[in-house]
Amino acid sequence: MGFSTLLDILGSIIIGGLVLLILFRVNTSATSNLYTNTSEANVQSAMISVGSVLEEDFRKIGYCKDWTKIPDPTKAILFADTSSIKFLTDLNNDGNVDTLSYYLGPASELLNTPNPNDRLLYRVTNSDAPKSSNVGITEFKITYFDSFGNILSTPVTPPSQIQKMQIDIMVENTEPIDSTYVVAFWRQLRLTARNLQNR
Amino acid sequence: MSGRAILFLVIGFSVLLLITEKNIGVASNRAVDNMAYYYENMNVHNIAVSGANVAANQFFLDPTWTAGFNNVPFAGGSYTVTVNIINAFTNTRQICSVGHYEGFSDTVLVTLKPSSFSKFAYYSVSEGNNPTYWITGDTVWGPLHTQDKLTISGDPVFNGKVTTLTHFVTKGYSNPEFNGGYQTGVNMPLPPGGTASVKSLADNGGADFTGHDTVYVKFAGDSIKYKYSYGSSYTSVLAKTFAPNGAIFATGATLRLQGTVTGQYSIGASQITTGSGKKATKTGGDVYLDGSIVYNTDPRSNPGSTDMLGIVAQNNVLITDNNANKGDINIDASVYAETGGFGSENYDKRSLAGTINLYGGIQQNGRLPVGTFHTNGSNLYLISGFLKNYRYDDRLMIASPPGYPNTGMFEIVSWYE
Repeated sequence: MGFSTLLDILGSIIIGGLVLLILFRVNTSATSNLYTNTSEANVQSAMISVGSVLEEDFRKIGYCKDWTKIPDPTKAILFADTSSIKFLTDLNNDGNVDTLSYYLGPASELLNTPNPNDRLLYRVTNSDAPKSSNVGITEFKITYFDSFGNILSTPVTPPSQIQKMQIDIMVENTEPIDSTYVVAFWRQLRLTARNLQNR
Repeated sequence: MSGRAILFLVIGFSVLLLITEKNIGVASNRAVDNMAYYYENMNVHNIAVSGANVAANQFFLDPTWTAGFNNVPFAGGSYTVTVNIINAFTNTRQICSVGHYEGFSDTVLVTLKPSSFSKFAYYSVSEGNNPTYWITGDTVWGPLHTQDKLTISGDPVFNGKVTTLTHFVTKGYSNPEFNGGYQTGVNMPLPPGGTASVKSLADNGGADFTGHDTVYVKFAGDSIKYKYSYGSSYTSVLAKTFAPNGAIFATGATLRLQGTVTGQYSIGASQITTGSGKKATKTGGDVYLDGSIVYNTDPRSNPGSTDMLGIVAQNNVLITDNNANKGDINIDASVYAETGGFGSENYDKRSLAGTINLYGGIQQNGRLPVGTFHTNGSNLYLISGFLKNYRYDDRLMIASPPGYPNTGMFEIVSWYE
């Protein structure tokens, strides 16, 4: 084994080492991207699920298959605050009036998750126990407007003034990636529950 | 040897990276799929809602419209609309709009029923050339509509939905509360011949007084008493056999009314014209309230009460200037005055009476005064006639007295999406 052979081995070790370092770096970056993309997809998926349920429920404010049971739909909203609302609807489209309410729980309920801001959004049907799951909601805000488009102060009194709503939801992942949280924001501009304007 | 190891390492890492890249691609695709799914659902929903809106508009232009639409291209998709009569007796109809987009479909159901004037707590064609202002302290508890502009001075409160053909004007600093919403540009004229529906019902299963100048009717629980002159005595009949369908009418007569109502009735009077040209004489068409007319079972204390009354006049409905009405008068009814209004007889000459406690609604061509008053600062002093205490009967949102005049239009009572 001559000097040139030794040089070849040394060179190949150095080049191989560099290639290895590059591969490790690429691998780390790819893994990080995978986590970020997956988190974004999960947060977005949670956002769409929450948004779809809210849209479905809020569109039916004041609706009842047997309309005589909610003869004056302007009275269908029973309580309206910034992050909570209670209204009459017909959830199963069976002609029976249901009471549905949404409210945001305190951040202190989810101290076991790394995200300090995530909270539970509760959905309560009639007198059933509140239901929720942690999908990483950090903001649930409703803005109410009267028939002239003026913002109503909350809690809205009387709620019959409400003609339109704006719903804001922010969802973050519960576990950070590199100390940052993936954020998705959904805003329903001027949701009009059509039944509020009946009659 | 080491070169081969490096080669294996490179190949190994390449495989790992390929798998990772594939997963990144899957995650990205999921995000796009989510967005596309949400967008497609939203779009098909909007198409279905648009179809329902187009159909509802068509329906309001022509209440007899039942043709529907078939596969109308819209926003990259299409909608199909059918109109069904879901209750022939009540003429309740339903618009079914189905939207289609990229393999998705969504349905919107809109239920409509004929609209009765009785649903209004207050309706007027005209608020007058010198309009009566809605002022601080005025509270309307149910739906209000005027074909005129609403004139406001101060802070009246409208707890029901307010609709106007034109707009509302304010005087000075005014801050009206529209707690049930406000909508402008709603055209709902008072059709001529509105009393005909009560007369028609009275002629077919009810009671129609004809050939008398004046008819005195007194509701007395299960009985109805009537006579044709002040000095004569009443004839008493069982209400259910006298007017089985609840419609009582006085054609070409002045109707004088009072009593206690049990059951659902509409009672009205129309005007007839005899002779022609300059010799033409018009008689009848006014309803006078000779005393209180109230429900036997008060719905305010007993929500299960089925007592309901509609008073329908071709001209005016007036509170008689008589001894019985020297104090308060209680009126439980929905009042309809086609060419006139609701007021009090000799409002500016009669003595100071009391308060009109009206539980129901008023639909009239124009507002009539019920008294005169003067103000001193914020205090109001009655000089003659009555003060007003009107309260809406919420039951009129879903029910109306038999044969009560219809607006000739439909109203949306339920919107399912």
